[in-house]
Amino acid sequence: MNDVSSAPLRSTARSATLRLLVAAVLLGVTAPSLLRATVDDALSFAYEAALPYYKQGFSIRKDAWGGDLGVKDKKAVSSQLFKGNDYWFLMATDVKGASLSVHIYDDQGNLVEAESWQKGRFAGARVNPKATGTFFAIVQILKSPEERTPWALVYGYK
Amino acid sequence: MLHSKTLLGEGIFAGFPMKKLFPILLVLVIAAGSLHPLHADNPPKKIALSDFPAAAVEEVVVPVPSEIFAVLDKLGNPNWKAQLRNGKAQTPEDRAHTALLLGNVIAEGFVAVEAEDAERVKELGRQVLTLAEAINVRKSVIARSKSITDKADQRDWRGVRAEFDGALQDVRGAMQELNDQDLSQLVSLGGWLRGTEVLTSIVQAGFSKDGAELLHQPELVNYFDRCISAMSPRLRKNPLVANIREVLRQIGPMVGARGGITPENVKSIHELTSGVDHQIVNGGN
Repeated sequence: MNDVSSAPLRSTARSATLRLLVAAVLLGVTAPSLLRATVDDALSFAYEAALPYYKQGFSIRKDAWGGDLGVKDKKAVSSQLFKGNDYWFLMATDVKGASLSVHIYDDQGNLVEAESWQKGRFAGARVNPKATGTFFAIVQILKSPEERTPWALVYGYK
Repeated sequence: MLHSKTLLGEGIFAGFPMKKLFPILLVLVIAAGSLHPLHADNPPKKIALSDFPAAAVEEVVVPVPSEIFAVLDKLGNPNWKAQLRNGKAQTPEDRAHTALLLGNVIAEGFVAVEAEDAERVKELGRQVLTLAEAINVRKSVIARSKSITDKADQRDWRGVRAEFDGALQDVRGAMQELNDQDLSQLVSLGGWLRGTEVLTSIVQAGFSKDGAELLHQPELVNYFDRCISAMSPRLRKNPLVANIREVLRQIGPMVGARGGITPENVKSIHELTSGVDHQIVNGGN
C-alpha cells in the first residue's frame, strides 16, 4: 500500500522538482535579460530627460551607464571631462514612484556642478569643468517602491 | 449691488468678465505649480571618494573625438583638412587588428566632419560597413552607414557626428552580445589613439596651455591599460596590441604630469600615437 501510495507521491515530488528546476533555469536565463530590459527602459527615460538639452545644442552621447541600485545606495560613475565644454548629466529610472539624484564631483571629492535638479524619476546636473580630468557623477536612489531600482545615466556636451 | 456687477479683468485680460476669468486663472495657477517641479536636493559640498569601493565605481566612458574637437574649435581655428588621412585602409585578416582599425576609421569620421568634407565622410561611412562585416557585426551598422551618407549629403554635420557615435556604440554593443568584450574595447582604443594623434598634431601647431591640458587623461590611459591586462593571453600577445600597451605605458606619466603637459611631451605623445596609428592603418608591427 505504501508502495502504491508513494508512487504518485514520488512522481509528484519528481515533477515538482522538475518544475522547480525548469523555473530556476528559466529564471537564470531570463533574469539578466529582464534586468537588461528594465535598464533599457530606464535608458529610454534618460534620453527623454536629455531631449530638452539636445534641443539647446548639446550632443547627447549614445554611450551610457546603467544598472540597478537599492534605496539610498550610491554609485560613482567616472568620466573624463574637458575644460571648455559644457556638460549635462541626465539620470532616470522607469520605476514609477521612485526618485533619484545625480551630482558631479571632481577627483578630490569637491562638488563642482554649476546646477542640478531632481524631479521624481528624473534628475540632472550641469558642469563646466574648470580643468580637464576625471570627474565623478554620484548617482543615488532616494526612494523607490522596488527593492532594486534600474537606472541609466547619459550625458551631453557642447 | 456689487454682486450683480460683472467684474472685468485688467491688463492682458482687459475686457474679460471675472466670472469667466477665474477658472482660467485657477488652471494657470495650478499649471504654474506643476511647471515648477524641478527641485534640487542638498548634496554635500565634499565627499570622500575612498568611501566608494571598487564595485561601487563605474568605469569611465571613453569620450568621442568630437568632445575634444569641440574645445579645440573654441580655442582657435584648427586646419581640420590638414589632419585628414588620405587613402583607404585594407581590411586586416586579424580580428583584433580589424577592431582597432574600425575604431580608428570611426575617429577619422569625426575628423572629416570637422573638415566638413562630405565625400570623405561618405567614404569613411562605407569603410565602417566593410570593417564591421569582417568581424561579423555588419548588421548593426547598415542603417548608420546609410544615415552617414544621407546626412553628409545634407551637410548635417551634427547629425553625422551623432551617427558616427551611434555606429561606435552599435558595433560595441553587437560585439558584447557576441561575448567579444575584448574586441569591443579595442574598437574604443583604436578610436582614442587616432583622436589623440589629431589632438596632439593641432596642439603642436599652435601650442597653448589650454590646448595641451586636453591631454590630461591619466584615468583613461590607465583604463585602457587595465582593459588590455584583462584580455585573453592570446590577445595580449598579439604584437600590435602588445605594442599599443607599451605606448600607453609611455604616455601614462606624460598625461598625468602635475604642473601641465609640456610642448616636448605633446610632441612625444604625437610621435607615439602616430606611429601606432600607422601600424593600425597600414599593417606591420
